[in-house]
Amino acid sequence: MGLLALLRKLKSSPDRELRILLLGLDNAGKTTLLKQMASEDISHITPTQGFNIKSVQSSGFKLNVWDIGGQRKIRPYWRNYFENTDVLIYVIDSADRKRFEETGIELGDLLDEEKLMGVPVLVYANKQDLFNAAPASEIAEGLNLHGIRGRQWQIQACSAASGEGVKDGMEWVVKNIPKGKK
Amino acid sequence: MPTGADDILKGFKLNWMNLRDADSGKILWQSSDDLSIPEQEHEARVPKKILKCRAVSREINFSSKEQMEKFRLQQRVVFKGKCLEQWFFEFGFVIPDSTNTWQSIIEAAPENMMMPANVLNGNVIIETEFYDGDLLVSTSRVRVFYV
Repeated sequence: MGLLALLRKLKSSPDRELRILLLGLDNAGKTTLLKQMASEDISHITPTQGFNIKSVQSSGFKLNVWDIGGQRKIRPYWRNYFENTDVLIYVIDSADRKRFEETGIELGDLLDEEKLMGVPVLVYANKQDLFNAAPASEIAEGLNLHGIRGRQWQIQACSAASGEGVKDGMEWVVKNIPKGKK
Repeated sequence: MPTGADDILKGFKLNWMNLRDADSGKILWQSSDDLSIPEQEHEARVPKKILKCRAVSREINFSSKEQMEKFRLQQRVVFKGKCLEQWFFEFGFVIPDSTNTWQSIIEAAPENMMMPANVLNGNVIIETEFYDGDLLVSTSRVRVFYV
């Protein structure tokens, strides 16, 4: 699903501007995911040293997707981008088992953030095309997603490289845009 | 302002810009010259077929040495001095020593309302102004030719 198609589906939403925040460790595949959503070439992606934003506009409605770099030295700046977030998308490299603990801690910190309170969270269990990728169910259990309270959440297996599963995740996002945001 | 305006200006650089067919994601034009040279008007030679695209995207990449708190841009598409389209975008915070991309994707006017390439040719300018609060940080002007 292209971003314009996504925006068309969102038009029933009462807000005229929506903000999706894409976070996760470095090398999780956030930028690849963002580019996959726009059918762009993904063969020359380098680590994001700041942010990548896609702003989509269709008959007065706007959707802004913010992809912020995940390197350790950048993570302390994530908090500057929390405000007014409608949906949080958290991306995990399902094949990088050595860093499951680290990614779990970062996600836990995000879910504790006051500015992100109640914000629906979609976890993409990315890189399912790799042979050693952990299944989404195992990641959900390892990160104790079932213990999440006070917000909608979903885990979606995907491959940002092939596009598989990306659309299903975005369908969930569309359905879970909070209604009646101030 | 916490950082001197001079430092912000000195540390800011426009790296590149491109235009895409937003449906296919394919790049139709990418800047080759150094966009950071101030006061210089750049030229984009874009295939005519971009006017047939249902949606187009404009992408701009920039770097900043300094942290900024109230970063925003204003992008206008101007035809013979008349503004056809305008975007305002608030970035807010910019990470020090960062390189960032902003891409706008917009649906094209219906084909029957689109001006023909020969009328538009050389008469369209994409003007992007970057501000930190009220401080004008940089301006980019790209004149579009449809070839």
